Amino acid sequence: MPLLFCFPVSVCCKREPEVLGNCIWNIAMSHLDIILQQLANGVILGSFYALVALGYTMVYGIIKLLNFAHGDLYMVGGFVGFVILSAVSGLLGEGWAAITCSMVLSMLAVGLLGVIIQRVAYQPMLNAPRLSILITALAVSMILSNGVMAVTDGEYLAFTTDLGYDGLDFGNVFISYTQLMLVVSAAVLMIVLTLFVHKTLYGKAMRAIAIDQDACRLMGINVNRIIALTFFIGSSLAAAAGVMAGVYYGSLHFSMGFVIGLKAFTAAVIGGIGSIPGAMLGGLTLGILEAFGTQLPFVGSEWKDVFSFGLLILLLIVKPTGMLGKTEIERM
Amino acid sequence: MSRISIALAGTLAGLFLCGQVSAADLKIGIMVPTTGSEATAGKDMENSIKLAVDEINKAGGVLGMNIVTITGDDGCDPQMATAAASKLVSSDVVGVVGGYCSGATLPTLKIYGDAGTPFVVAAANSTKLIDANPGTSFQINSTGFDQVNTAVSLFAEKGIRKLAIVHQGDGYSEDLAKLTKDKWTAMGNEVVAYEVVNKGEQDQSSLVTKLKSTAPDAVFWTAYYSDGALLIKQLRQAGFRKLIAVGDGSNSPKLLEIAGKAAEGVLCFSNPTAEYLPAAKNYTASYKAAYKQAPDAYGPLAYDGMKLMADAITRAGSTDKAAIVKALKETKDFNGITGAVSFTDKNTLAKSNFVVLVAKGGKWTLLK
Repeated sequence: MPLLFCFPVSVCCKREPEVLGNCIWNIAMSHLDIILQQLANGVILGSFYALVALGYTMVYGIIKLLNFAHGDLYMVGGFVGFVILSAVSGLLGEGWAAITCSMVLSMLAVGLLGVIIQRVAYQPMLNAPRLSILITALAVSMILSNGVMAVTDGEYLAFTTDLGYDGLDFGNVFISYTQLMLVVSAAVLMIVLTLFVHKTLYGKAMRAIAIDQDACRLMGINVNRIIALTFFIGSSLAAAAGVMAGVYYGSLHFSMGFVIGLKAFTAAVIGGIGSIPGAMLGGLTLGILEAFGTQLPFVGSEWKDVFSFGLLILLLIVKPTGMLGKTEIERM
Repeated sequence: MSRISIALAGTLAGLFLCGQVSAADLKIGIMVPTTGSEATAGKDMENSIKLAVDEINKAGGVLGMNIVTITGDDGCDPQMATAAASKLVSSDVVGVVGGYCSGATLPTLKIYGDAGTPFVVAAANSTKLIDANPGTSFQINSTGFDQVNTAVSLFAEKGIRKLAIVHQGDGYSEDLAKLTKDKWTAMGNEVVAYEVVNKGEQDQSSLVTKLKSTAPDAVFWTAYYSDGALLIKQLRQAGFRKLIAVGDGSNSPKLLEIAGKAAEGVLCFSNPTAEYLPAAKNYTASYKAAYKQAPDAYGPLAYDGMKLMADAITRAGSTDKAAIVKALKETKDFNGITGAVSFTDKNTLAKSNFVVLVAKGGKWTLLK
């Protein structure tokens, strides 16, 4: 039986503090393999959330827009990656070379799409009330998802690669090389992004715009170009996650951006919206909570979202700005 | 001037009458969704019924009469279905064949019952239809109960003791999961996991870990192919090597395409579709010749429904509705392409027509 810590304690242990402590330890040790495996599952899922959450948080940080079309950029990224992979698979096969190639090209293409969306749909609305631009974002989201639905006839596409099932096997804990590669690529992208934001002039400009746009203009920073750059980076990260999801899960559907968009947005909020490390932390936290929520004793896995979101609500009650969010000092 | 107009009117009236049903025709209603989300399946059923009608008419018709059909579009919607059924009843059909969506078919049973019109329900198979049947409807598709029976007997045959069941929280898959669970535990076996996957959620690894920790002999997925393919793939990736079975909602080549080699050896319970039925060879050939495409999943049942209706009218020896209902009730081993049709005292199929398929080399093939 998959009993996990806390709950069985009251059933099977005496209540003296020391015995209780030992008992929790014993139960945790006897289910160590499950705990570790779920931790791994959570980290993998969490890195998808984190990659998508980064785009939300960067765009919010710089122009205070909740870009609801972001989940759909993830979806478009998956489809673009699929098209490119089909095109290059004749040349490169269906292994890592082709996947990397399609991921990079998809990131470029979707990054550009993000910039176009920003220019066409958001730029003219920048000085309008926040609600108007929010509605525009919803419209963009619908255009993207329904556009892909029209092109694909609403069908599921199978994303075939020839990655095997091999992996690292630690007895009862198993992590496939594919999973490992995904987590590593997500980590690399996040490190590169952090370095970019903190070590380059463009990154500095981004952080400056997040604080005060008008002052930046006076200092001679091309604000529009930096905003476009932010959209480019955010969108290409979503595209990277979309291609990874295609490779890992093996199927694409026009509605696949919805659930992950919602969860990544949540991750960005609990991490502290506007904060880049916050988005990463929030994504990982949500992924891990969900994985453990599946193992809740006494109830089925349908309660996992109740469990994770319940805890997140608690967190927001205690710290309304999110884990790494600051009230109003510096974003990004 | 006036003479000309009278002559014209006469000609027109004559033309009009020619278009009408002549006295020697037998009118049968078709009720299927020809518009809306399920229009593809509905059209396929309509095509199959018309194919059967053509064959019957070519062979001399029924009781010396030609069969003509009239279609009512139920749109897979209870309200539209009610209107369609009323239309068919008021145009004096002798009987009705069709019924695809269970929800849409349900309210029409009473309408046909009140009119005494015999109704052969070709595809719709919710267990709710059984209780709502006023006695004039006949279900020639197996119901959810039959799938459960096919499933548990297969599991028992394979020596399985501990079963894990996963559904998706919607009416169809939860119904199948719950019926299976009840039946399996009633047989003295164990259900070690009974879980739900949220629709549209791609990552099921944490569920897979949980399932594996309960060490089931088999995993039974009762919902649809798209998320089922993901579950199969992730189960196999995580090293689960034992039996995986899926319900009829997952009977799609797409499942094999998405899951790839992970799907190899997966079992699927399925309604009898043309490609797995040896008796359906001629049907498939003439369908392709007539409509330039292959028949869909419920075509054979619709075809059988029409043939059964004609057979019952012949046995009744008249077009009296009560006599036809009686003849339908007395059907004994009617030789359809989907199998032998006889009815229980509740007018459901006496013998399950579910078949077991196995995924082999990226294709579904018949297990036995």
